[in-house]
Amino acid sequence: MRTETSSLPARAGLVIVGGGVIGCSIAREATRYTPDVVVLEKESDVSCGTSKANNAEVHSGIGEDAGTLKQKLNVRGNQMYDEFVRGLGVEVKRHGMLIVVTQRVIPEETAGGMSEEEREEILTRKIPQGIVAYGEKAGIKGLRVLTRDEVFRMEPNVTREAVAGVFDGTYGLISPYKLTIALAEHAVINGARVFTDTAVTGFRVEDGGVKAVITDRGEIETSLVVNAAGVFADEVADMAGAGGFIIHPRKGATLLFDRQVTAEYVKSSVAEFRLPGQKTTQSKGGGAMPTDEGNLQLGPTAVETGDKYDTSISAEEIEEIFERFHYLLPDFPRDALISAFSGIRAPTLEEDFVIGASEAVLGFVNVAGIQSPGLASAPAIAEMVIGILHELGMPGEPRPDFDAVRPKPARFSQLSNAERNALIKEDPRWGHVICRCETVTEMEVLNAIHAVIPATNMDAVKRRTRTGMGRCQGGFCHNRVAAILAGELGIPITAVTKDGEGSPIFLGTAKDFLRGEGA
Amino acid sequence: MSAARRPDCAVIGAGPAGLGAALAAREAGLKDVMLIERDVELGGILPQCIHDGFGSIVFDEVLTGPQYAQRYIDRIEAADIDVRLNTMVLEMAPDRRITAVNAREGVIELEPRSIVLAMGCRERTRHQVMIPGYRPAGVICAGAAQRDINIEGIMPGRSVVILGSGDIGLIMARRFTLEGAEVEGVYEIMANPGGLSRNVVQCLHDYDIPLHLSHTVTFIHGRKRVEAVTVAQVDGGLKPIGETERLVPCDSLVLSVGLIPENELSLQAGVELDPVTAGPVVDESMHTSVDGIFACGNVVGVFDLVDWVTRTAETAGRGAAEYVLGKKKIRTPIRVNPGRNVRLVVPQLVRNLGREVDFYFRVQRPEREVRANVLAGGEQVFSRKARMVRPPEMIHAQISASGAAGKAKDITLEVVPHEKET
Ligand SMILES: Cc1cc2nc3c(=O)[nH]c(=O)nc-3n(C[C@H](O)[C@H](O)[C@H](O)COP(=O)(O)OP(=O)(O)OC[C@H]3O[C@@H](n4cnc5c(N)ncnc54)[C@H](O)[C@@H]3O)c2cc1C
Ligand SMILES: Cc1cc2nc3c(=O)[nH]c(=O)nc-3n(C[C@H](O)[C@H](O)[C@H](O)COP(=O)(O)OP(=O)(O)OC[C@H]3O[C@@H](n4cnc5c(N)ncnc54)[C@H](O)[C@@H]3O)c2cc1C
Repeated sequence: MRTETSSLPARAGLVIVGGGVIGCSIAREATRYTPDVVVLEKESDVSCGTSKANNAEVHSGIGEDAGTLKQKLNVRGNQMYDEFVRGLGVEVKRHGMLIVVTQRVIPEETAGGMSEEEREEILTRKIPQGIVAYGEKAGIKGLRVLTRDEVFRMEPNVTREAVAGVFDGTYGLISPYKLTIALAEHAVINGARVFTDTAVTGFRVEDGGVKAVITDRGEIETSLVVNAAGVFADEVADMAGAGGFIIHPRKGATLLFDRQVTAEYVKSSVAEFRLPGQKTTQSKGGGAMPTDEGNLQLGPTAVETGDKYDTSISAEEIEEIFERFHYLLPDFPRDALISAFSGIRAPTLEEDFVIGASEAVLGFVNVAGIQSPGLASAPAIAEMVIGILHELGMPGEPRPDFDAVRPKPARFSQLSNAERNALIKEDPRWGHVICRCETVTEMEVLNAIHAVIPATNMDAVKRRTRTGMGRCQGGFCHNRVAAILAGELGIPITAVTKDGEGSPIFLGTAKDFLRGEGA
Repeated sequence: MSAARRPDCAVIGAGPAGLGAALAAREAGLKDVMLIERDVELGGILPQCIHDGFGSIVFDEVLTGPQYAQRYIDRIEAADIDVRLNTMVLEMAPDRRITAVNAREGVIELEPRSIVLAMGCRERTRHQVMIPGYRPAGVICAGAAQRDINIEGIMPGRSVVILGSGDIGLIMARRFTLEGAEVEGVYEIMANPGGLSRNVVQCLHDYDIPLHLSHTVTFIHGRKRVEAVTVAQVDGGLKPIGETERLVPCDSLVLSVGLIPENELSLQAGVELDPVTAGPVVDESMHTSVDGIFACGNVVGVFDLVDWVTRTAETAGRGAAEYVLGKKKIRTPIRVNPGRNVRLVVPQLVRNLGREVDFYFRVQRPEREVRANVLAGGEQVFSRKARMVRPPEMIHAQISASGAAGKAKDITLEVVPHEKET
């Protein structure tokens, strides 16, 4: 199904606004009960908002304030994850997190009347034990206090200023966009319909209840709406008169490093323990962490930005990240930097998740304020929302015909030679390498373009196959991928975009230019 | 699994380096030479270099890139060489086992008796030079833009800012202009142009394209497609000076910020790399640190002239043949030391000073009225005057030392001011 060209259905049992990890998690969970689910996404692909630009960590909940909804859903979400992704073709890697306690938690000058023994007792026992107790109280299992030597054995690159540590083995990594795409596809396999390039512009509300969703491509009648619009959730809620909260966008920048250099730099996520008053920014967590592909990330920052589209990175931010983690990782290989990205968090003024049925508009469910740890909490958020939807009248019986498996797209680079040969026999395009850095073949690009949720532009192909993500950042493959997209979509190569309308890769043919034409 | 093929020599990459090496290996007596290229045609980067300026040393003629390549392609076709196009080498092991793949044969496993690495280089990208801002469409490397325009006939930009004044950037400034696009200017962070002087004149001056030295791009604007860039002058420490920032509207930013030898396969095989050239450490026969693996051309270090690439290729091809035919005597190598105002030198090692040895080296900083000397065991075995030396240019020196110098235990290359000769 070409989602963006088929027309919207006249009505639907449930309409979800927003194709991020939250909207797609809810959609997939809803299809366990009903196929009558529609997801509307204004961008050209699912996972184009915050769900594509984050740190990919399945946090445990240890970083959250006690008693918050965030902490409760994070702890539960983490525990649900393996089951949640079963059959999706996406893995959680439980790589763990190391919280490092360092000398500067109690700087010697402020140690005041404390004796050296007392200071050491606090740093090496009381603080780590306190962290463990805090986590256990929230329901996190398997936390472990580490001595200084154990810290270095685990992570040789951390500062010699380390005095102790806490290891949290429940921390995981997952590709957020692969997860989101897989969830959307799994929902579609089970009957849902996903419409990209479709912006919700309003709602029809009558007699205190939602009656229809209005989009830039027409209306869908429905009596159940989930607002999972990320940083725009306040505006979407206001369109229905179901708002009352404000989202203040907070930018987070992360640096990404060449995995050839940094693959083994840290094995777990590594963060430094800071007392509340010592936090330099509002970003908890933060530090050095691997990605699911083995690149190392450093960050993120936390900067209030008035602009929900501000995904830029300034020179100061890049410098700030290096400076901030210099103490924790003094010999960091700066030169291996290959990329940097920013994502926008969606905090409310209360800084907690806002999940619930609107009291003003019957049938309208807000899932807002989903800042970090939204990815980690996604399974628990979906579970909670499904509960609310049941109360609002969504079918409550599990479908016997629910298909538990979403087939995983094959990745040439990860196959054995025998498997590769078998595929090439089947179709020679499996033997044609398009992206040299990540070893992506023509067939993988074709499969992405013809997938359940089809890739229609360069970034969408990249998220599914890794074309252009390597050392040369697309220098070699960009025109090859563009040519395949043009051929498969039946459009001229000059109509191929990076990520949807307004982002053409090429501005005309050489002939157009010489005739004085072109975009 | 079928038994791996054992060619006498497998050459990886068919740019001018690979073409030259395959021919030389064949001509030096190897029967079974394989030339493996991932692209659809032979020639490497040359088919897209439609400007002239190739071959002045090897052919004493001024050719375009495709013409230069064609001379070798004709010879390859006439020679009995096993050419595999559309074939990508995926892996190379220290024992010289190679895994390659193509659509016709599937996975190909080889155990060549010798290997010549000729993979060329790739371009540095925006993040290696840390340009802050957004990540829109319209930021592209100059070599990639060259391919788009000259091979595919598609234009990646209409109003263009070029960052970096390396040769590719200069040539692309002219190309964009000739194709009907507008080049607002070329910005170079250093105080001197990065490319050859002749290219500054022929590509910028002749087309009234301004060159802004000591300038850089400090921000990329535009969420979907480039809308503008901020440029600024830099101070002596190369830090942008805030007050000089200026917004330049454009739809593309073309980067010509350097090349990096493509050595991922070399690393897999455990080939030792020189941190300065970013290519394999080689001896005078272009033999790397791994037995039976040779290297030539841009994979060894970035050469400004294709002619030198061809020279290193011929040396490597002959070296591979001697290796396989058992003619090569392995002697303990001596290190070649970069002396005064010498930044890098290829080869880094010499085993036999008794034969003719070619050195290629670059200076650290521009200097006028100098002499380039090669000293073997303190004795001067080469000396040449130059009016001007500049970092972008590779200097070539051929020496043959005999007698006492031939047994020297150390070699030094240096560039020194020459005394006024009376
Ligand atoms: C720098 C950074 C690092 C982070 N790291 C982590 C981490 O390591 N672990 C973790 O658990 N969490 C992390 N988070 C948080 C996590 O990324 C988010 O909580 C999560 O992605 C939110 O998902 P979402 O679906 O709510 O939002 P989004 O992914 O933004 O999805 C909302 C979607 O709604 C669409 N939309 C909006 N308005 C409309 C409309 N009117 N019509 C149609 N569609 C609309 C948008 O286009 C968007 O695609 C991080 C966040 C940031 C910024
Ligand atoms: C824009 C530009 C302008 C230039 N202008 C001039 C000039 O005016 N005069 C001049 O003398 N020189 C010029 N040069 C320099 C000259 O072109 C290069 O030095 C020369 O092409 C380098 O040759 P090479 O064979 O080492 O590399 P390349 O030409 O880059 O060839 C490398 C080949 O290896 C292949 N390859 C790499 N990895 C693999 C793998 N794993 N499997 C299979 N195949 C692989 C690649 O596809 C490629 O074909 C210019 C270069 C450029 C880029």
